[in-house]
Amino acid sequence: MATNAESSIAAPLKWAASLPELDDLQVGALRRMLNLAGQLPDDWSGMQGPTTMQEDFGGLRFQLAYMSYALALTHVHRLPAAPGLFKRPFEQLIEKMLSPDVWAYWHYVSTGNGPINRNQGELPAQWNPVGKDNIMYSAYIQSMALMYRYLFRDVRYAKEGALTFAVQAMFWGDGSLRFSYDERSLNEHLYWAMVERGFLGIACEPNCVFQICNQPAIIGFRMHDLVYGTSHAKDVMDGYDKAWADFGVVTADGHFNMMVMEKERVVVTPPEAPWVDFWLAALMHAWKPALVEERFPVHIAQWSVAAPHDTLWIRPAVQRKLDMSPVISARDHGWAAVAAAEVGDEETLTRLLGYADRFMNPVRENGAYYYPRRDEHFDAQGRLSVMDPHTGNVLLGYARLNVKDGLRKLFEGPLSDAHFAAPALASLSKGINVRRATYDAGRRMLALALDPVAGAADVVLVFDNAVQAGMPEIIHDAADTPRVIVAGDQLEMRFNMSRRTSLVLAW
Amino acid sequence: MVGAPGHPVFTLTDHFGKQATEKDFHGWFQLVYFGFTSCRVVCPRALTKLSGVLETLGDEGARRIKPLYITVDPARDTPQAMKTFLETGYPRFLGLTGPEQAIEEAKTSFRVFAQRKSDPADPDGYQIAHTAIAYFLDPGGNYLDHFPDATEAGRIIERIRGHLAKG
Repeated sequence: MATNAESSIAAPLKWAASLPELDDLQVGALRRMLNLAGQLPDDWSGMQGPTTMQEDFGGLRFQLAYMSYALALTHVHRLPAAPGLFKRPFEQLIEKMLSPDVWAYWHYVSTGNGPINRNQGELPAQWNPVGKDNIMYSAYIQSMALMYRYLFRDVRYAKEGALTFAVQAMFWGDGSLRFSYDERSLNEHLYWAMVERGFLGIACEPNCVFQICNQPAIIGFRMHDLVYGTSHAKDVMDGYDKAWADFGVVTADGHFNMMVMEKERVVVTPPEAPWVDFWLAALMHAWKPALVEERFPVHIAQWSVAAPHDTLWIRPAVQRKLDMSPVISARDHGWAAVAAAEVGDEETLTRLLGYADRFMNPVRENGAYYYPRRDEHFDAQGRLSVMDPHTGNVLLGYARLNVKDGLRKLFEGPLSDAHFAAPALASLSKGINVRRATYDAGRRMLALALDPVAGAADVVLVFDNAVQAGMPEIIHDAADTPRVIVAGDQLEMRFNMSRRTSLVLAW
Repeated sequence: MVGAPGHPVFTLTDHFGKQATEKDFHGWFQLVYFGFTSCRVVCPRALTKLSGVLETLGDEGARRIKPLYITVDPARDTPQAMKTFLETGYPRFLGLTGPEQAIEEAKTSFRVFAQRKSDPADPDGYQIAHTAIAYFLDPGGNYLDHFPDATEAGRIIERIRGHLAKG
């Protein structure tokens, strides 16, 4: 029989145990992204896809950007009291986005003269990756920087030149390739570029205005609005609806249109492109939820293929290189999973992830769970087996970590002053998984569940807003008793963690 | 160009047939709208709203704000066509037109989008999709603010009053 003292200790831990927490696969998916974000600068191990020059839709910029979105959604919806788990990785992802490895493709792609934009002839090569067109890069860095500002209330990217795109090569050029922006100037630049194009959107490759690639810009405008009190997103959304009315956001047979050739004002949509339907759905759900929720069941019924063990895979689009060799990736499958998670179709999500877990060769590595690249398109049974780094590192993890309406709710702006004033895990030492991080204002309790990534770890946890309401009582089930240091309103806690540990700070 | 159109410039002809540049309007706050006289929906709605805004601003508005309407359809909008259109429905506005190149330069300077599109319902077979934004410039001709089509009149009045109070 428990004593009174034992009961009072156990009660907060019992309450904490009743809260939702990340499961093993979610922890593994998150760890994969944290590990990739933490790789040394310009180390792209595990992120290199089957095409060269960052040309496919799984290029580095896409992986980095959607990792940051996944981190944002996981923080806001699942681990709101652990900004310290996400802030530095978010910065690392933005630092990586600024690397010329990620954007220097633009110097070549800006010249156009490809199959879709040949009628413009060869254009002058550009170095500035956000100057004109290339919304397939510029919107991501814009939305990442502004999302960071919104999530962490940190002005790091508001400082002049904080988003500088620079090439500093040793053996060519004179060091003058520097294009300086910050979160505001980049946002203004994109907003007025939208105005200049009648809000149809900004082109990716010259002359090619993709619906999908303009969605991140809208998300970025919305983050700017939430931070600065502007109304850019509404302006753009209103204008977008009017501009796309000439072409249709949706085709006559109910699929999302892919792109408009800007000069010719002609819409281009391939007949078999599940990725267009699902990628656009995943993003546009932020501001057109009714349309997306109405279309998603139709699209999933059309593009999915049933597989053993009640799983599901998505028939991939087959694209052709100039030599007509096929390009097939798992991105159709990955984006379907992301869209299913966003619209809250749990059954489809479970079946899509189930297929990946069973048939797409996941691995566990350094605490991470992901699906390594595989270039074999189909297995002996004719089922999808290809895997690209974008889907394997990011999309399936994003889908696993998101919640119903996750991006839509982030778009609405869920973080209040109270969120930022509440006690929170502000930083933590390496090698620790966070499964639960919730502050309950009513109870005045902060609940954490942690475990070491590998073996025992010496843990250092730093909490913000921790002693303004007095010293908290620390209730835990750790083998080692935490040692506490207070500095200002921060509380630092150190202990050795050899197993999963539940921790409650109670004020 | 990064951001809003800082100091837009133009050399056009007003609806009385007189050449006009941006400098001719220095000393006034300027409310500038781009459109065309054959526009069936967007321009009449916007000009009606903006006329109502100016009406509400009253004498102070009339004394300090010059409302300008720059055409994006110079092929049809001669000075006389502009004069007839505006004096009939929107007499507070001064129309500005000019050769196609001059209109292009004005559009570029204001970062305005306009593109001809075929329209069988139009007597000439086309309409022009265009940016539906009203710009507000200070008496030095510098950009101060802009009001997209969806901005409600009350909000425009509030913002213009704020600018007039500072200026």
